[in-house]
Order: sequence, then C-alpha cells, then structure tokens
Amino acid sequence: MVEERRILYEHLDVPDINTFDVFRQYDGYTRFEKAIAEYQPEDIAKMVLDSGLKGRGGAGFSTGEKWSFVPKDIKPCYLCCNADESEPGTFSNRYVLEKNPHLLIEGILICCYAMGIETTYIYIRGEFTLGKKMLDAAIKEAYEQGYLGKDIRGTGLNVDIYSHPGAGAYICGEETGLIESLEGKRGQPRNKPPFPAVEGVFRKPTVVQNVETLCNLPFIIGNGVEWYTQMGPTYADTRFDPPKPDANTGTKLYCISGDVNEPGVYELDLGLTSTELIEVAGGLRGEEVKAVIPGGSSAPILTHYELDTRLDFTSLTLAKSMLGSGGIIVMNETRNIVDCLLNIMKFYAHESCGQCTPCRWGTPWVRDIVQRIADGDGRKDTITRPKFGVAENGRWGDTGETEEIYEDLDLLESVANNIANVDTMTWNTICVFGIAVSWPAVSYMRKFRPEFEATIREGKLVTLPVAEATVPPEENYAYQQRFVPKEFADL
Amino acid sequence: MSDELIQIETPFAFNEENQREFDELIGRYPIKEAAMLPTLHLAQNQTGYITPAVMKYVAEQLEVSVMKVKDVVTFYPMFFEEPVGDYVIRVCHTLPCALRDCKVVLEHLKEKLGTDIASETNLAKGTTADGKFTLMKVECLASCDVAPVIMVNGDLHKNLTPEKVDELLAKLAS
Repeated sequence: MVEERRILYEHLDVPDINTFDVFRQYDGYTRFEKAIAEYQPEDIAKMVLDSGLKGRGGAGFSTGEKWSFVPKDIKPCYLCCNADESEPGTFSNRYVLEKNPHLLIEGILICCYAMGIETTYIYIRGEFTLGKKMLDAAIKEAYEQGYLGKDIRGTGLNVDIYSHPGAGAYICGEETGLIESLEGKRGQPRNKPPFPAVEGVFRKPTVVQNVETLCNLPFIIGNGVEWYTQMGPTYADTRFDPPKPDANTGTKLYCISGDVNEPGVYELDLGLTSTELIEVAGGLRGEEVKAVIPGGSSAPILTHYELDTRLDFTSLTLAKSMLGSGGIIVMNETRNIVDCLLNIMKFYAHESCGQCTPCRWGTPWVRDIVQRIADGDGRKDTITRPKFGVAENGRWGDTGETEEIYEDLDLLESVANNIANVDTMTWNTICVFGIAVSWPAVSYMRKFRPEFEATIREGKLVTLPVAEATVPPEENYAYQQRFVPKEFADL
Repeated sequence: MSDELIQIETPFAFNEENQREFDELIGRYPIKEAAMLPTLHLAQNQTGYITPAVMKYVAEQLEVSVMKVKDVVTFYPMFFEEPVGDYVIRVCHTLPCALRDCKVVLEHLKEKLGTDIASETNLAKGTTADGKFTLMKVECLASCDVAPVIMVNGDLHKNLTPEKVDELLAKLAS
C-alpha cells in the first residue's frame, strides 16, 4: 500500500491555519525569511531550476526554465497566479485557497523575490466565492503584518498582491487567455510567440504559474534541493539521442473522483500507477475498472490494459496521454464510454471561446456526431469496396468483398483531427484547446471502438463488458508512442 | 446601441459602498480597462443583472466604449443580461458529477421548482413564476470529490440527494 506524503497539504486540516498567527506557528513565512536572508535572487532561480519542478497546471513545463526566459532589463515584470481551476476532475487548488491561503502568499513572495517582481495578480475563478473571501482576508492580514506592501520586513522589497475574479469561462485557465481576461477583455488566447515570459500582461514580461506550483516553492527553499529531488522517479527519455534524464520530482496533488469509494485529494510522490492510486482512494466502487482519465477531461483515456502506467509527466507522455492537472476520473464496468464522451464533448462545445474557426465549428460538430450516435441514429453503411487480393477466378484483382463501415466514426475522427491532429501533434487553432477536444474524442473512439460500433449497430446505447469493449494495445495504434519528428526532438 | 435606447432604462450608479470599493479597485491596475471584470461583478451584485444602463455607466467609469463592455458581458457566463431569481441554483453536470447521478438531482429540482432549465439566452425559462429561483446547468464547479454538487448564489452544497435538496429548498423558501 502506497503511503501519502503530505507536504503541501500537511497542515491543511489544522484549525484556523488560514489565519496568520496559526500559520506562523507551523513555520509560516520562515521559508520566505530564509530566502531573503540566505540567498540572492539568482540563487533561488537556480534552486528552482535544479529542483526539476514542473508546472502543475497542465503543460508540465519546467518552472526554472520558464523563469530563465524572462528578460532581466524590462521592468515592471508581473506574476499571474493561475487559480482559475476549471478542468473537469480537478479540485486541489480550491482547498489551498479555502483552507491555507497564506502558503500561496508565501510561495508568491519567494517567486517575486527571485524574479524582482513587485505586482502579482491572482486570477481566481469566479465561482470560488469562499476561496476568494479567505484569500482576500489572508492578503489583508499579510499587509497588516508587514509581509506585503512597501519595504517588507525592512529589506527594501516591495510586493503587492491583488485577487482578480474571473467570470466562469474555462478558456481563461489558458495562460494567454488569462492574460487577456485580466486586461479586461474577452478571454481569447493570444498567438505565441511572443510568450508571456517576454510579453504578457500589459505588454510586459509576465510569469504565469499555477497555485500548486507556487505552493511548492517554500518547501524547495526550506528543505533544500537535495531533499526535493529525492522524491519521484527520474527517467532516461529515450526519444532523445543520447537519452536525456527527465526528472519527475516532488509530490503531486492527485484529485481522484468518479467510481472510487473515497474520492478526494491525495498527495503522493509522482510515479505511482492507477491501480495503486485507486487503492489509496478506498478502492474501486464496482467490480472492474473500465477506464481511467489520467489528467483532467482533456487527457486521452487509459484502458484496463494500461492500469500499470505510471502517473507522472514522462510516463504518461510516452503512453500518448498526459498528467495535465492531475484530475483522475475512474469509471467502472457499468459506464458507457459513448455517454461519457458525449458529456465531455458538451463541455468543450460550450467552452470553446469562438476565436478560431476549426474549434468554433468543429467542437459542436463533434458533439453532434456523438449525440447522434448516443441517440441511436449513428450512420453506418454496408459498401462494396474494391479490396484487392486473389479473386474467385484465381487471378489477382477485386475480390468483391463487402464491408460494413461506420461512417460516423470516420467522420468523428476526421473532424476531430482537423481541429487538432493527435498523431502528428499539430493543431489548427491558436491555443491547445483544440488538442484538448480531439484528444478525448479520438482516444475514446479508437480505444473503445467495439462499444461505439455496437451502439451504432443496435441503434441504442450498448454497454459492453470491459474485455469486449476495449481494443487490445497490440491491435490499435491509439496506444503507440506519440510521433516526435527527429529534427524537433532537441527543441 | 443608440442613446435613446439607453434612456428608457433607469439610470445606474454605484452606491456609496460599491463606489468606495471601485475606487480601490481602479488603483490596482496600470490601465483602467483591466478593472472590467471586478467592476461588472460589483455592478451585478448591486442590480442583480447587467442592464444597458449598467454597461453605459461601466464604460464611462473605465473610459472604454459601451461596445467593449457588451463584448465582455456576452462572453462570460456569470454575467446575466436578464433578470434572475433571488437564488440562482447552478447544477454541475460535467463528467464526475454525472458519474454520481447529478441527473437525479437536476430532475428533482426541476420537478420541485416546476420550471425548466435556463439557457444562456433565455434565463426566464428557468426562473420560477414568483421570481425566487433560477435553475441552470453549469460546467465543472471543481468539487468533484463531493459530487454531485450545486451552487446556490455563492454557497456550495455537497453530496446531494433528493432528500437533501428538499431540505435545502425548504430552508431557502422560509
């Protein structure tokens, strides 16, 4: 049985930890004091880079590397904390904001010190009414105690933190969408480059970090890089030649929901398997695991053949999926995958920002196709296809065989792949929302094709037994490692 | 939007408390336009929904065109352009809640309130005749561990069953 390792969540359930005094009793702000007393800003940036901390928001990009892209000579520079937690299946940031907001403020202070930032905006989801209330109270307290404002603790450091409410748009969780929204416009993502690190909010260099990423900083400073790097596995990434070490350090706040007995947030070292995680979360509710979504609803689904895939950044990328935000949704044998896909596609059709044509039109189109299949009106056809082989007359030619084709499944794959192609990893949209749509659409359909076919054939939702519903890995290219062109492998 | 149309509406201005909060807000950003979302939230809290008069007022305060305010209001689902009930009931219906039978909760609410589900373009459809409740479906509320969840104005209600819904409605109606 895997043990929880609580670091970010260690004091979460302490009564009144949201107040300054109690937070102070549990080493609160001592890590920030250590940072300003013992280290230069460059040392901190170096420590974060060495710690191998990867962004916990979804993309999994190295935090230290992101910081290194920020030009030193352009001021002011801004920090945007992404607390717009909207990915279905993710709910770890909400607990930090509601129960331990001072930890986030301490993380922000360390980041601001390292990067020479004076203004931070916390973009908090509009629906987080309680979270915003607690956060605003904590910010106010920190100002009163002299940990925010001008000349903090007599060090000459100035940091201001403002919370900024969103208004219910999923796309504002995308970093450039967040920046547009923060500037008081529609949350429509920008073209990149320029990346926010060079030109972000108010056209100034901007660091955008997730709540969980920032909450890791006090512990990296407090306990040292060595302590941090011993948690989690390091792999040799064989996509590169020679293989590049790829660290998955630290803990992750895994949010597990769906068909488990004790859904919730579990803080564990990176690199455990789905089976282990389900065990930690009180076991499966039901007889058998049918599917696991590993990183929020945008991530490609894992079948019961892939339950031993490690849930970390590298392993999931190699399994043609992603860790994303760490929102794990478990489905048992009673679930119908067509129905689940319909639910997710309704979400994306609703949340497309409408900026790029392939996404604006493609997403509702995909939803309509899945709706049609689920309603029992899925299109199929029996056609005679020229299938070459040894024909009846013993000569090479058209065998005249008939074949049943599922028009809607081909159409689904074609439309989804035209929003974003999941095989080549190229998208026809400005932001990665495109890939977040086509990834689930194509992976569900390819991996659970028998269930889709049965539903179309029978004209009603058919839930097949797990073994029959799933295509085995050796028969389907949906499982294979993502195509990475050699010339891009070094980028 | 012509000026005559706006004149029909009752003019809007922040009350004293909101004006103070707005003055504080505006100082946080290097450009005034950036205060758009918090300002609209303030205005909506005061009036219940965003009328053309509100948009005109916000545009004047932030020194942008009315069209720009309208642009933002229509983009974000949390801003209403029509009157809503005193209690806005948001029912989460995304996958984790769907796996935990949010449909039962939704159907029960529909039956109890005797109303349909509001759509973004037709809020009246989901509002009860007495104007007390508005029922709407929303996407993930980031509380999947305690699914199914609903949000009534700012408050989250967890692990719902039809019985719990009855209790809640009785409490709200009194």
